[in-house]
Amino acid sequence: MSGSLQNLSGLDRVIHEPARLTLVALLSSVASADFLFLLKESGLTKGNLSVHLSRLEEAGYIKTEKTFRGKIPHTEYRLTPKGKSAFDQYRKSLGSIFNK
Amino acid sequence: MNLQIDNAMKRARGYWFVDGFIEIAMGILFIILAGFLLVSMNTSQMPLLPWFLSVTGEVVILKVASFLVVILILWWLKDNFTYPRTGFVRGKITLSQVFVIFKNLILFLLLPILGLLIASLLVTSTDSVLSSMPVWFPVGLGLTWAILIVLAGEWMGVHRFRLVGSAILLAGIGVGVWQLSMGLPNVPTNTPLTVLQSSTLESISRTLTSLDFILLICGVILIASGLVTFIRYRKENPTPYTEEA
Repeated sequence: MSGSLQNLSGLDRVIHEPARLTLVALLSSVASADFLFLLKESGLTKGNLSVHLSRLEEAGYIKTEKTFRGKIPHTEYRLTPKGKSAFDQYRKSLGSIFNK
Repeated sequence: MNLQIDNAMKRARGYWFVDGFIEIAMGILFIILAGFLLVSMNTSQMPLLPWFLSVTGEVVILKVASFLVVILILWWLKDNFTYPRTGFVRGKITLSQVFVIFKNLILFLLLPILGLLIASLLVTSTDSVLSSMPVWFPVGLGLTWAILIVLAGEWMGVHRFRLVGSAILLAGIGVGVWQLSMGLPNVPTNTPLTVLQSSTLESISRTLTSLDFILLICGVILIASGLVTFIRYRKENPTPYTEEA
């Protein structure tokens, strides 16, 4: 197996899925974002978005924070340091595959 | 794939500009400043130099006060209009971003000085720099603002800032050409800078007029851009998001 193909097989599968990759990329540029923002920007359905967010949370890549904005309950999602480093590593790996 | 990731990251960074409110607010701030400067220039009986020093202090106070008011209004507008429609985002301030802001601030201060140095290389004497100030100042300022706005737009994926930057650059050139068409004040050569001649004062006064026009035009450009963005945003998101939608 060539070096770049080995790199390909070593890609983080949790992040590699396009919908989750979009979510992680969106969250990497902000401190936190709510469900509605992620829904609008990712173009996913509510059900799909919930599933992908749960998957990312299980992997420890994002953290959910339940707060209140006024009297309305509000859920915000934030990238954890583990998620941030996984995302950086993924981008590096991807870059090295395509630059070879 | 990397391009897709970059686009997603830029969309998140530029979210604050999605509704046009910031541009409208900045435009209003610019017009208030231009109006204040214009009124102050036309009503003050003080000599130019003391007036300039006093107006600089007043402008700083006005800037800080209106900035605070604008932040509060923006906060309310975002809370009641934008967030219920397209969601809430908390901005991220990292150490590297603080570094970038500082770097840009230093650039913002250094670029006019660099412009002045280049101008002094191109013209023969300090007197020429002074007499041509009403021309090069608006052009330099327009260029600096245009570069900063376009760079910020590229970083956030807000492509309309290319148009806004170009319009501001054109405004700077336009004001410079207008000042040039009126003829330059003839600053006498070999005059010590400490002795302010009437022609030097005229040059400074006309430069301030140029600044006033630049502020006014930039304000109008920003408001126009903000309004177009707001109308488009309102059309795309007419009602707040509900579970049933």
